[in-house]
Amino acid sequence: MHMSIGVESVLNKIEGNPRFMSNVTFRHTIPAEPGIYEPIPEFLPAQLGELLQRKGIEKLYSHQAAAVREVQDGNDIVVVTPTASGKTLCYNLPVITTLLENEEARALYLFPTKALAQDQVAELMIWSEELGGKIKTYTYDGDTPGDARIAIRSAGSIVVTNPDMLHSGILPHHTKWMRLFENLKYVVIDELHIYRGVFGSHVANVLRRLERICKFYGAKPQFICTSATIANPKEHGTTLLGRPVTVIDKNGAPRGQKDIVFYNPPVVNKPLGIRRSSLLEAEAVAHELIAAKIPTIVFTRSRLNTEVLVTYLRKSFHKLGQPHETIRAYRGGYLPKQRRQIERDLRDGKVLGVVSTNALELGIDIGTLQAAVLTGYPGTIASTWQQLGRAGRSNEASLAVLVANSSPLNQFMIQNPTYFMDRGAEFARINPNNLYILVSHLKCAAFELPFVAGERFGEVDPAEILDYLADQMILRKAEERWYWMSENYPAVDISLRSASTENFAIIDTTDGQTKVIGEIDRFSAPMLVHEGAIYIHESAQYHIDKLDWDRQKAYAREVDVDYYTDANLDVELKVLDVFEHEELPQVKRSWGEVMVVAKTHMYKKIKFHTHENIGWGNISLPEQEMHTTAYWFSIPKEKVENLDRGALQSALVGSAHLLGNIASLELMCEPSDLGVTAQIRSPFTGDPTVYIYEKYPGGVGFSEKLFESHERLLWRALSIIKKCPCPSGCPSCVGPVEEVGDNGKTHTSWFLKGVLDHGPEQQTTEVFTPTE
Amino acid sequence: MDLSSKLRRFLPQQNDPTPPAAERVCELDPFLYGQEVSTPFGACYVIEEGWPLSKRHGHWTLKEALNSDYSNLSLFGQLQNSFDPRQALFLDTETTGLAGGTGTYAFLVGLGFFTSTHFVVKQLLMRDYNEELALLYLLDQELKGKDSIVSFNGKTFDLPLLQTRFTISRLGFEGAGKKKHVDLLHMSRRLWKHKLDSCSLSSLEAHILGVRRVDDIPGYEIPARYFEFLQTGDGSLLQNIVEHNVIDIVSMATLLYRLQTTTELKPEECDCSFEAEALAHLSLVVKNQPLALHYLEAASQLAEDNKQYLRVLRQAASVFKRLEQYERASLLWKKVLELSPDDLTTSEELAKYYEHRLKDLPLAEHITRQALAIAWQSRSPKTSALEHRLKRIERKAQASTR
Repeated sequence: MHMSIGVESVLNKIEGNPRFMSNVTFRHTIPAEPGIYEPIPEFLPAQLGELLQRKGIEKLYSHQAAAVREVQDGNDIVVVTPTASGKTLCYNLPVITTLLENEEARALYLFPTKALAQDQVAELMIWSEELGGKIKTYTYDGDTPGDARIAIRSAGSIVVTNPDMLHSGILPHHTKWMRLFENLKYVVIDELHIYRGVFGSHVANVLRRLERICKFYGAKPQFICTSATIANPKEHGTTLLGRPVTVIDKNGAPRGQKDIVFYNPPVVNKPLGIRRSSLLEAEAVAHELIAAKIPTIVFTRSRLNTEVLVTYLRKSFHKLGQPHETIRAYRGGYLPKQRRQIERDLRDGKVLGVVSTNALELGIDIGTLQAAVLTGYPGTIASTWQQLGRAGRSNEASLAVLVANSSPLNQFMIQNPTYFMDRGAEFARINPNNLYILVSHLKCAAFELPFVAGERFGEVDPAEILDYLADQMILRKAEERWYWMSENYPAVDISLRSASTENFAIIDTTDGQTKVIGEIDRFSAPMLVHEGAIYIHESAQYHIDKLDWDRQKAYAREVDVDYYTDANLDVELKVLDVFEHEELPQVKRSWGEVMVVAKTHMYKKIKFHTHENIGWGNISLPEQEMHTTAYWFSIPKEKVENLDRGALQSALVGSAHLLGNIASLELMCEPSDLGVTAQIRSPFTGDPTVYIYEKYPGGVGFSEKLFESHERLLWRALSIIKKCPCPSGCPSCVGPVEEVGDNGKTHTSWFLKGVLDHGPEQQTTEVFTPTE
Repeated sequence: MDLSSKLRRFLPQQNDPTPPAAERVCELDPFLYGQEVSTPFGACYVIEEGWPLSKRHGHWTLKEALNSDYSNLSLFGQLQNSFDPRQALFLDTETTGLAGGTGTYAFLVGLGFFTSTHFVVKQLLMRDYNEELALLYLLDQELKGKDSIVSFNGKTFDLPLLQTRFTISRLGFEGAGKKKHVDLLHMSRRLWKHKLDSCSLSSLEAHILGVRRVDDIPGYEIPARYFEFLQTGDGSLLQNIVEHNVIDIVSMATLLYRLQTTTELKPEECDCSFEAEALAHLSLVVKNQPLALHYLEAASQLAEDNKQYLRVLRQAASVFKRLEQYERASLLWKKVLELSPDDLTTSEELAKYYEHRLKDLPLAEHITRQALAIAWQSRSPKTSALEHRLKRIERKAQASTR
């Protein structure tokens, strides 16, 4: 057993520390809950029942039993329960049952990452061995050697892969996988909530293709999915799979008591609204916990931060005479064997601190942890709960600390804990019918099998698009069928995670090294990493020496200068089509299709503190053009008649800054998925207008959702302005004073109130609940 | 905005607009001299051409190819038992792409077979995608009558592709099934990979078979040409492709013959060092070391350059070593070192020979030291092995003097 002082006493110690407590914005205790159990269903094969007994499983959690029952009844299911609630049994039990009864039966497991797939195979191998080796499990991914592939195709009872491989490696070669498709009984999709946004929209189409191929070979597989908590598992599952699903969300696993602490680092630079680094604060918290011998996991937001934190912690424990191995980094690329070693060392007390990126959040089980420290808000409520849930096994008390950084999203969360506690998880959004994505997958599908007239693709009647592709000489129509007519192999050109492949890498070349320190999306690159820019990363300044536009790389060098750079991005936004529109006396709002043209011409060098303009430079980078969808609202110009132009400008810039940041909160997407721009006199509406547009061509449905949640979004924005301690504007609320002027906060809140103003009775919502 | 204008606005456009597909009139006969053949699965177009056996194709006639005995082909390890050219179907496809996968079609399947009087080339063409079933049906019929397939790279390309087409057709065709398969590319590589820069069929034609192609269409242009035909129906576009395919098939027949006759060469009949070397390798496969040594001797006499000469000597030495004729081997190693003093592997062999066979430790030490000096200078990865060897020899020498 551990020689730890225990979570309770650490909490007491923390509470006795006034410096620490002055930064705590929230404390909450979730009481322990007993498990709900059910006997192992009798219809499971005796062999399997005996194996469970040997593993010490005498009964199932209620959600596991429910899953087995629903699958037995022929339903497609989505199991939604928290981290470490024994989700794998929910699919392994029905699958193994079928495989034991029918040796020819096949199952396909899809995991979002290779690491997860390998973890799962290691587990299944153990099961298979215990069951006499009849169930053959293989991973099939980019690393699978050629000769192994042949065996997998014909003999693998369970093929474990990822959606990318299904898309580019398996479906386009389905004839080689005939045995799998002819006998496919189950498709297991783990971590369903990961498949949202652009990625999810792609995956939904890959599943449409899978269904088409299964139909060709006469198979009708059942789907078993698991998901972290999201607000709309039924809707999301139904859209993603293209079929109705049964949701099992009553968790039967027991829970220990959990204490949650929100910690906001102190402000160190008031005018710029900069807080002490969340990394350093997280290190201090983790240090306390590990020194008390409490096994602790620290989550960081990047691989680099992981390394930095490990170094810091090792150094400070080295001074205390602790060996290096007490602190371990944990990366996504670790093999199951290395992970098992870390788990063993955690159990033995050799390792006390594990520092990880979000690799662990995705279902990989690392064993006995009693505390979790989150460096920065993970971006969504759902992943926050997943990370918080990493600490604390069924019957032990645990502690989780969320350390915020300076971004508006973090600041909103840390200052509105009731929002966090009450709101529950986000909605997962996908739009499988995004025209770009749909057309891409129709090409792949036509490559796999010709389309027959009248055939549907999911819910879509593809005839018009297929005719278009035939006009483009990509397909050929002959006798009511559309055939692939190109030398190319379409799946190669289509990446399911295209958003990330388009990113620019920022490479630190200080002292002759070459190290990637960050990434930035294509659309923001001209603004932030143009040649001559000062790029700020982890509160260090970097000068961008060179931007290689074609290779998507920016070369940076660490510098210490007394200025920052500010590039002028001219975004021209033209409305092409309006899908929905509402007109009220105080606001006109719409969503629809737009064309965004972005161009940066020049940048300014601005001196810290004095904000003098001390120089400028030209930027000559290509203009960027994108068709996408946007949501926009405008205030009738009569309402702002008596406002001077500067004030209106300030209000619009402030609103844009703020809304761009918190819209991602509403949508469960990355802030970089959205762009914002404001026009004092929009050529389309004729009024002062704020646009929020999607940064993926065609959009994936975010704009429509923003249109629906217009009011909530604006109220939330107002609440951030109100709660932000800065005097007149900072990066955590309406943006820095240099951008919004000395009255940025006042102007912005006046503007937003004006847009919302339709009667006093509407003025109370959850976000105005005081936190004190 | 409606879907079609959205599509036009959002998606990249082809540069030139499509010719109206409705007006496509497919005219083949004046260009291809074939005919439409009906099957239970619709029709497709078949071109048949008989080549008299006496006709010369490059250096040889088809009659020579038909009447040859092919027993030596088993040396290449592809055939278990006898091969009868009368039972063989020569096969080569023209496809809509090289990428493979389920969306690549074989639009033209060229077949060749011997009758008592002719070598017949029969080509199955789909004039549009909907004729694929008929094409596959006729192909299956032809395959049924034969017991082996002869191809050029068919193991990797043509047959897996056809198997995919058969599977997708879902007509339960037997297809190529378990027929014997002679892949001439693999065999040609065994014989001529050192001699030729490339073992492509056109390179073999030019350098081995004496076949010259006139106005040949490059392979990479074929898919685009076929697609253009599909759009326009202009049969003249296919003329080159069909001719290209005919030559491919006929060349396979004489290539097969040339492979066989080359393997029949006795060591003294060899006039090409590379062939002699390759024949030595084939002899080693069937464990005929004495014959291999004869070929190697021929190869050493014909050797075109130092590099090849040394390669042959080393090979011969290793055969002698395997035969435990160490002295013979050692003479060759010495010869190699005379010409190539930096050859550490051979130095090692010789050191081993002196140390273990002759038990001449001073000589072994001498040659190891020499090798080591070179190894140090060139920072060879063999350095540590040589150092190790030297130590052991010194230890042994000390022990024996004590």
